[in-house]
This record gives sequence, structure tokens and C-alpha cells, in this order.
Amino acid sequence: MLSVVVACLLACQLADYVPPVAPQMAAATRGRHVDVATLREGRRLLVHRCIECHTLPPIWHYALEDWPNIVNSMSHRASLKPAERDAIVAYILAARSTGQY
Amino acid sequence: MGKITLLILLLCILPTTAALAGARHFTFLYEAPTSAPGSVESENWITWERLTNPERSDQIGFRHEIEIGVTDHFQASIYFVDWSYARDRKQSSFNYSDSAIELIYNLTNPVIDPVGLSIYGEISGGRQHFELESKLIAQKNFGPLILDYNLTLEAEWEQQGLQEHQGELQQALGASYELSPRISVGLEFFHEFVFPEWRDDEKIRNVFVGPNVAFRRRNWFVTVTALAQATNTSDDADFKVRTIFGFGF
Repeated sequence: MLSVVVACLLACQLADYVPPVAPQMAAATRGRHVDVATLREGRRLLVHRCIECHTLPPIWHYALEDWPNIVNSMSHRASLKPAERDAIVAYILAARSTGQY
Repeated sequence: MGKITLLILLLCILPTTAALAGARHFTFLYEAPTSAPGSVESENWITWERLTNPERSDQIGFRHEIEIGVTDHFQASIYFVDWSYARDRKQSSFNYSDSAIELIYNLTNPVIDPVGLSIYGEISGGRQHFELESKLIAQKNFGPLILDYNLTLEAEWEQQGLQEHQGELQQALGASYELSPRISVGLEFFHEFVFPEWRDDEKIRNVFVGPNVAFRRRNWFVTVTALAQATNTSDDADFKVRTIFGFGF
């Protein structure tokens, strides 16, 4: 029983809900001109601000085009400034654009 | 003078902010993440306790809190007033207990670090009551599952001249599973060691366990936990139900 629980927890952990920022993520944002520093800030804000109210869904859980509206709808209650909101969206879209997620 | 200063301070802060500080998944445990900088939230606690041994009585306790996010890793709270209504077969009464200040500093993140850690300090005082409380908060998020642990050390001075002393060591464990972004359900386990007069002669050990449910929407949330005593300690509640309702300004 315990091993089943541990296996489930490890599976959740290995799912990697917030993949680290890699140079290829910035490269995958072609046309949007987002730098690595902005993506790192987006990831940092995602894991600090969003979990104050809810756990993080896998970034493949919602369609690519839905993410800006999803983040925008909660940005006010998460005290996100427009640039911070845009950084989170940029990080999610970049992580998705690498094709791994 | 102190109350007027506090009121002016709050009136200055509130119009500049308009965000929820964060929703709670538990009511008897604190979570490691701290509030966003600049956020302000009101949290109101209601705890009903039923005691049947040595005789039946009920107590409803109230806490009224303003929680303020100071930095990305630091939050401060003011408990304006803790008060209660108690009733037994002979009488009923309202009692003011204390007011308090609470500070939480977040050290690590429960998503990207192996364990999310925060440290907590609270100082409270009232008529015939003074209390110091410190906590270590440990949390880990596994996808939609939150595992949370609190280790608490409390020191209380009560009664006329604050002559009665008591220490408490508490540990609490909680699990919460997010069914949807708005609804979570879970369990809370609470284990306390009570040391009257700083001694362990009476070997007072209390264990409480029970379910919780949390709902959040827009700028408000409500979380409810019902705990039953799993030990057989008299003079402590057989069961207690705590509701925390929070809303952002």
C-alpha cells in the first residue's frame, strides 16, 4: 500500500509541472522576442503567486490559446502587475512551444 | 492613541490594494506560501467546540484577522480581537481573550524545492492572557495533492497576575487534494502535548482527526474542518468544527 502511495507521489513529481527554463525555450518564442531572464521571472512568479490559491495544473492541461485568458483572469487576485502577468504567460507558452509539454 | 494610529495606517493601505492574499486548504494548519506583496485580506475564524466530560458545554470562538503581504517571502497579520461565547447548563458568557500579531517568513518553495519551508511567530496578549507561539511549516505539492506539516511550540501565561503557566507542543499533518481549481477536500490530523506549569506530570496527550473541504471563487474563499478527539482526554473538546472565511479588499 505504502509503495503504491510513494509511486503515485513520485509520478506526480516526475510530471514536472514547471520545467526549468532552458535556452531552447527562448529560441522557441520566435516572433515574440522573449529573453531567458523574462522566462525565469515568469517561472518564479508562477510557482510563488499562483500556489497561494490553488495547485498548479500541468501546462499541457489547457490549450495554448487559452493560457493568456486563464492567467489574466486571476492576475488581479494574485497581485500581478501587467509585466509580471505577461512573463508568466510567456514562460508557459515557451515551455509548451518546445514540444516536450 | 495606538488604535487611532492603527486605523489611519489601515485606511492608508487599503485603497492602494485590491487583491486576495491567498486561499486556505486547511484550517488547523498553516501553509508554507506567503501572500503576494501588496495584497490585503480579511480572514474570519469561527471555531465551535463541544465538550461532554466532565459536563456538557459548548464554546464558539471567533478571530478577526487582517493579512498583509509585505514582500514575496514575508507576510504580517493582525488579529484584532479573539473572543468567544461559552455556554453550559448553568450559564452563558461572552469573553474577550486577546489580540495578536503574526509574522511568517517563507524560506523555500513547495513546488520547485524538495520541501517548502516557512517559519512563523505570533505574540498575543489580552486581559489575563499572554502567549508566544512559534511554528515550523513544511509543505510539499505533488501535482493536485498538498501535504502539509506544522510543528508548533506555545507558551501561555494566564489568570490573575499571569500566574498560571502552560506549555504546548503540537504537531499537525494535513493532506488536501484539489478536485478542481475551486474545490479541495482533505484530512487534518492534530496531536498536542500539554505541559501545565511546564511539567509533564499529567501526561496530557490529545489527538484530533477529521476531514476538511475548501471552496474558493473570485476574491473570497471558505474552508471548513471537522475534528473529533481520538483520545479520551476530559476537559478538552470531543469534537470541534472550524470555518475560515476570507475575502480580499
